Parts: sequence; C-alpha cells; structure tokens
Amino acid sequence: MSHHQPSAAPGAPADKGSHWANYPRFLWRSLVMATDGGLPFYAWMTFLTAVALVGANAWALQVVDGMIHTNMTDHVSWGIYIANFTFMVGVAAGGVMMVIPGYLYRDKDMHDVVILGELLAIAAIVMCLLFVTVDLGRPDRFWHLIPGLGRFNFPISMLTWDVIVLNGYLLLNLHICGYLLYIRYLGRTPNPRWYVPFVMISIVWAISIHTVTAFLYSGLGGRPFWNTALLAPRFLASAFVAGPAFLIVTMFVLRRLARVDIPDRPIQLLVQIVRVTVLINLLMLGSELFTEFYTGGSHTTHATYLFFGLHGHNALVPWMWTAVALNVVSAALFLLPAAMRNMWLLCAACVLAFVGIWIEKGMGLIIPGFVPSTLHELVEYLPSSIEWRVSAGIWAFGLMIYTVSLKIAIPIMRGDVVLGRDGSRKK
Amino acid sequence: MSDERTISLPVLGQIDRRTAVKGIGATLGLGAFGVAISPLARMREQLSAEELMQKHYKELTPEDKEAVFARLEREAKDQYGADVSIHDPQPIPGVRFGYAINLSVCNGNGKCVEACHKENNHDRDTNQSYIRVFEMPKGTTDFEHGNTTYTHDVPREGHYYLPVQCFQCENPPCVDVCPVEATWQEDDGIVVVDYNWCIGCRYCQAACPYHARRFNWKKPTIPAEEVNPDQGYLSNRVRPQGVVEKCHFCLHRTREGRMPACLEACPTGARIFGNMLDPDSEIRWVLKNKRVFVLKEELGARPTLFYFFD
Amino acid sequence: MPRVKPWIFLSLAVALGAGAAIGRVHLSNSVGTPVADAGRAESAAAGAVAPAGGAYGVFVSLPDGPPRVHTGEHDAMGRPVTVSCVSCHTSMEPNLARRTAADPPMQFHQGLTYAHGQLSCVSCHNPHDYNTLRLADGAAVPYPEVMTMCSQCHAPQARDWTYGAHGGMTGYWDLSRGARHRKSCIDCHDPHAPAFPSMTPTFKPVDRFLTPHRTGGAHE
Repeated sequence: MSHHQPSAAPGAPADKGSHWANYPRFLWRSLVMATDGGLPFYAWMTFLTAVALVGANAWALQVVDGMIHTNMTDHVSWGIYIANFTFMVGVAAGGVMMVIPGYLYRDKDMHDVVILGELLAIAAIVMCLLFVTVDLGRPDRFWHLIPGLGRFNFPISMLTWDVIVLNGYLLLNLHICGYLLYIRYLGRTPNPRWYVPFVMISIVWAISIHTVTAFLYSGLGGRPFWNTALLAPRFLASAFVAGPAFLIVTMFVLRRLARVDIPDRPIQLLVQIVRVTVLINLLMLGSELFTEFYTGGSHTTHATYLFFGLHGHNALVPWMWTAVALNVVSAALFLLPAAMRNMWLLCAACVLAFVGIWIEKGMGLIIPGFVPSTLHELVEYLPSSIEWRVSAGIWAFGLMIYTVSLKIAIPIMRGDVVLGRDGSRKK
Repeated sequence: MSDERTISLPVLGQIDRRTAVKGIGATLGLGAFGVAISPLARMREQLSAEELMQKHYKELTPEDKEAVFARLEREAKDQYGADVSIHDPQPIPGVRFGYAINLSVCNGNGKCVEACHKENNHDRDTNQSYIRVFEMPKGTTDFEHGNTTYTHDVPREGHYYLPVQCFQCENPPCVDVCPVEATWQEDDGIVVVDYNWCIGCRYCQAACPYHARRFNWKKPTIPAEEVNPDQGYLSNRVRPQGVVEKCHFCLHRTREGRMPACLEACPTGARIFGNMLDPDSEIRWVLKNKRVFVLKEELGARPTLFYFFD
Repeated sequence: MPRVKPWIFLSLAVALGAGAAIGRVHLSNSVGTPVADAGRAESAAAGAVAPAGGAYGVFVSLPDGPPRVHTGEHDAMGRPVTVSCVSCHTSMEPNLARRTAADPPMQFHQGLTYAHGQLSCVSCHNPHDYNTLRLADGAAVPYPEVMTMCSQCHAPQARDWTYGAHGGMTGYWDLSRGARHRKSCIDCHDPHAPAFPSMTPTFKPVDRFLTPHRTGGAHE
C-alpha cells in the first residue's frame, strides 16, 4: 500500500470546491467504495450480515423477556458479554502498537499502514460499546449514562471513566482516520497540525482505555481474584499481543486476498513487538499464579476453580488449559526465527495467541471473579445460546465495520481515489 | 476499485444496474433487520413514555412523585391485578438504623427468608429473598465451609447458622461504582435503589462483597392475592425487569417506626433492630455489651448489621 | 465480659426495674382474657408506667393465672374439659422427689415431656399452693410472674431479655409511634422441656444452577 503522492498541485479541481460540497462527495464516494466488490466480498458481507442479524434478533428477545435468556445469575452476574468487552478494549488499545512506531519513531513503512491499526481501534471500540449495551438490563435507559442528560457518577464510578475514555478514543480515531482519508481524497497532503497532536493524545489514550478497564475490576475489594495491582499491566501486555496479532493476520489476508501491496517491514516490526509482549504477558500470568497458589487460603479458590476445578465443578478447566496451551505454543513460535519467516506459521502463531488471550482475559478473567461467589457459593456459568448468538452478532458487526473501513481506506490512502479523478485508476 | 463510473454528486438519474442491485440489497438488509428486532415491538405495551422519560428520584418534585406513584399503582393494577398503595416515607431525623443477629440463637429455620419474600413482593418462581442463611460448621467463619441449600431439620449437630442480607454499609462499595447514581445511602443509613433509574449494568453486584444485591432477570411473577399492597417507592414495590434491588431494612415499615418483617418473623428472637443514635435503644445495648463482629471487616465497608454469639 | 455477675441473683422485679429505667419494658397486672388450658394473655400496661420518650407501651405475653389441666373429656359443646391444679392436689400428698410423669406412673400429666436439667416438679411448682410457683428461696410467685421463676437460674438470658436482646417481638421499634409486643420465656421455651425445638426449613431459594448441597459431601 505504498503512497503515491497525489500530483494534484494547488489549482487542481480538487481544491476548488468548498468543504460543504466536497465532504458529502467524500461520504458518497466512501459509500460506493464500501459496497463495491467482487463475489467473495459480497459473500463475506452477506455472511457477516446474516450473523449480525441473528445476533440482533437474539438481543431483541433478551430485551423483551429479560436477561433470564442468558445463563447469568446473581452469583455470576457478568458473563461472556463483559468478557468480550474486556478483550475488545485490549484489541482497540493494541492498535497503538502500530501508531507508536509509525509516529513516535517515524518508521516510514509503519506510517504507511498505520491506518490499519487506527481503523481496528474504531471497529473494536464500537464492539466494546455494543457488548456493554447488550449487557444492560435496561438499554432503554441508556441516556442516564450521558453526561448532562442523566446523572453521571464521575469521578467516583470507574464505569463513568470507561464511558469517557472509550468514547473519547473512538472520537480521536474517527477524527484521525476521517481527516486523513478526507484530505487524501481531496488530493492534498494532510496538515500535521490537524492530526499529529491527536495521534499523540491517542497513544496515551490507548493506554488509558485499558488501564481504566482494568481498574473497573481491580478496584473491587470484594473480588480477590481481580483485586490485584498487576491487572492493568497484564491487560496492557495481553492487549499488545492480541492487537498486533490481529493486525499481522489482517495484513497477511490483505496481501493474499485483496492483493494489497504491504511491505514486510511493518509485519516484522509487529512480530518483534509481540515477541516481547507475549513473554511479558506469560511472566505476569506466572507471577499472579505463583502468588495465588503459594499463598493459598480462601482467596486462592478462584484460581483453583479456574485451573483445577473446585468441589467437582470444573466448567472452565478445559477452557483455561486450552488458553495456556495456545499462549505457550504461540510464544514458542514467536520466539523461533525460522517459524517467523514462514508466513503461514506466523499467522498460525497470531491466531493461537489471539484465541488464547480471548479465553484468558475474557471468560478466564471474568467468570472466576464470580466463582465461587463472595459468600463462596459455587454456581457455574457457561454462555447460553442467546449469549453466543448476541456475541457472534457483535463480532460479525465489528468485522463488517473493519472490512468496510478497509475497503474505503486502502484505495484512498494508495491515492487511487481522488476527488475529480474518481474511479480512474492511477497506474 | 473497479468502478469505472464517475460520480460527482449523490444524485439520482445515474442509477445503473450495480447501484440498483445495491439498493435492493440494502432494502433487503434493512427489512431483515426490522424482522430481526421485531420482538422489541412487544416492549411497547410494557414501557410507557412517562416511564422512559422519568427523572431521577432526587430530581422529582412532589407533584412529579405524585404522578409517578399514581402511574405505578395503575401499572400494578394492570399488570398484577392488585390494588396497591405506593408511598415514600422519608428518613426520620436523628435515626441511624442498626441491626444485630444473635448467632447463638439463630437456628437456620429460614422464616426470615420467607417473610422477606412475602413482605417485599419478590418473584414467586425463584423464591427470591434478600436473605440467605448459611449453615456453617462450628469452628470456622470461612464461607468456604458454608452452605445455603440444606433441607434437613435444624439446628444440625455441630453447626451454626449465619443469615446474610444487605449490611447497609457506612462506606458502601456498591454505591461508589454505580455509574448513574441509581443507588445511594440515605440519612438513616439505608442504601436504596431507584428502580426506575437503574440501567441494569450490575456493576454494584460485582462490587458488593456480601452478595447482597439481586437482579431482576425477568419480570417478577406474583399472584394478585399475594401482592403486599403496602409499598414504598424505594423499597418493596414490585420491581421492573432488568434492574437491581436489595434489602432496604423494610424502610416502608421501619421509617414508620415498625420492625422489619424478618425480625417479626424470627421464631428464635435472634434479631435486634433499632436506632443506633438512641443511647437507650436495644441495638445500642447489644453493641455495647455483646462482642459483636461484622463480616469481612478488613474490606472497610463498615457494615451496620452486626453478629454476635452469646 | 464475665458470663455470671450479680445478675445471677437478679429477680424479674429488678430486671423490670432496669427495664423501666431504660423506658422499654413494663409489666403490671394481667387484664387479659383467660384462655382454656395454660391461659395466656398479654400483660397490658394499664397506664401503670409510662415508657420514657414514647406514648405506647411494651406488652409481654404472659399467663393470666395458673394453668388448667385437660381431663381428656369433652363437654356437650365439644369443648375440652379442664380442671384446675388444686382440684386434685389439695387431696394429694406431694411427692417431693418426683421428676417425671412416668416414674412412678401418674393418673394425670401423662405424655408430659420432661427435660429440664435436674429439677424436680416442686423445684418450680409450689407444693403448699399449687396455684402458684415457688422460687428457690421458698417464696411463692403467681403464674403471671413466671419470668421471675425462670430468671433466678437463667440470669444472662433474663438480662438480655430485659434489654431487648433476647426473645422474639413484633410491633414498633419506635415506641413513640406504636406499641411493641414481646414474647415471654415460656412462649418459646416449654418450661418442662425448655430446649428450643428442632425445626424444618420450609422455604429455600430456587436459584438457577445452584446445585443442592450434598450433606457430608466434598464442600463441607
């Protein structure tokens, strides 16, 4: 996706019209691009739409009849929705691992593809917001959360912080991506003044979204499984595995399927990053487990339940050992230079890491916080069919957003689509 | 991009086959979306515009409250067939409620659980109640050894019984975490929930160290003749689906000077309730003369429900 | 806090004095209606002692007089025929050593469960006047003051009861708004077998997915 700087000089038609005229043109052009494609594209989008609709239907049932449709209980009051939410915050934050080298270290190749990370952040944050929304018992009262309209328990409630940082991160990335794409569409060179400061803020902000999300849990004294200072660093470390892993696979897919010209360098840089973060993540997980099991006592029951089962209840044991296996194998692959030279093995390592972390910091983090309950009652949880459908629907919707945004962004960033020369392929 | 057309403006008249197909696809997609979320239409009968737009309890004027209570009474009639009266007793100045349970006396019979269930219009299907009674082996206070599902005759040899309900903490973690201030502590120490403001995020359930909060996973079912018509807005009125609720020390009773339902139901006399600010009250005598303790004191929530052994 | 202190010799009168002092408890003559068998009525305040700071009183459920014993027969209306203690006991020599109804067998009091420490019948019943009870020092106590009887041995419980920390109650915690009704010792404790009876829990939450506890199982 190398940049061909648009040759549009001052005085080109693109510069003539006002933004009032040009911006709708940009949006319309984006819509056209987003809906154009070959048969595989339509098949993919139809598939995602179908899954998303199944999810929407399941959610509608849940809203009408109540969350009795889920397998959550007063004992395990958060389930796979909040698990996915937590994981997706990490994916959103993980995109920053492209932004930092791209902007802070001025890595030219990374800078060219950094928008992949920023768009991923947008899609992931939208998914986060959806996962929180479907977890609400009263989505009709969503407006109570809007500062000014409802009553916003800021700064005491960490959830209000999360509302701010997540929406702020969404806006930051929407602005950065929107500005860059629009200006490129106009055929101009983006003015750093209008986006670089926001990029810098977004770097800090990316750290903040996952820190705040960790504080949601780690601040709860009644939940010893979460009540650890290591939670936020762990979240960041695993986010910086899952995010880059997703992006590596994305770049691989773009190369193979969409024939987008992506250089090796950004991929290799992300591999380097994951090599470090995957180890940090395992180290921190190990530290937690040592402290838990060596100390013993009743606070260890959550970890015992997660890894070994408790009093004959072991619903999460296979999940967690799968996650451990996936994480260890992926770490080993990342550390093998030979494996990393093979694109297929690299992708396999990324998928293993992504799924491993999805389990570890999704179900593997949220559910044991509730099992056993604060009064040590053992009620287990596995998602209901409705919960699976809603979750799959949100994943499908997130992938739709990401697919569509890539469909718009790549040609524009490549310089193929410029106002006034729409559709005329630059070769 | 293989699109060879030139489109400068989103105007009609340039519709080609591809655009038409897209249009059909979009229409189909929207239609399918409409069908997918069509169950939401059933919400309309349950959800009035007044309820949707209702303000936070603390922002309601006396006239607002009157209208809200009248609407809730109407809804109770429509949905449960019960004639109820909803009122809103305020904290009594100079009163801070305290509760104590004598664990040497409690025998785990569960009458308090049942009284709570009936008094507070809990869901009949789940036998919901704000109280859970733990059977604990003597020699430990570790809940790991406790159990709530016993059905044998009580007391069982070598065991004691520990009823747990909301402790109305002085420093309630559940209140801190609520993002919309739907739950707060009143001047008499009772932590209440505005069931018409709660968004159902259940963060408070995660924050409570004592499993004191309950969520309405579905609309409660109660036969009309079993509905307790003496209802408080912040206490025992039938809760809507999808919101969190909790023990409120029967504020619709206690703010009128009466004892909580669980205390009156206790056949062993294990429960002592009163005003902690009154030096002559029974609860003060217990706090002064018995070796009281609270659960998980190290968490700093400072419960105002105390336990003691004789 | 030592378990046994001067309270051990506390009579109910003293206890009630203390109770009145904290403005919570007051007893006076029974004005209740007699009930067949162990007649019981709430001892009403009758305005004798006004509780401090409150317009309403504390009412204690107490017997209004000596109990009556079932004969096992019924009258024409189907009501059980009862007799007073003195119907028989005026003409009978008291058996000071008797501790159970079964040994040696008695004509009356059959089926009376007796399990109250090492006490004999006359530890509490007054062999000189069966219409009263008898304290350890020989003083006669009328039945409505039965709690004086209990308190001479069960001082810690009497003390706790006095301060509202023992025994069931209903009504108002705030006596300025309404009256309170309290149980007496013998409402919950059968004087002949005072251990609180075993009960069967009848109401259990039906939590989804909470598997019933296995008694004696692993999670013990």
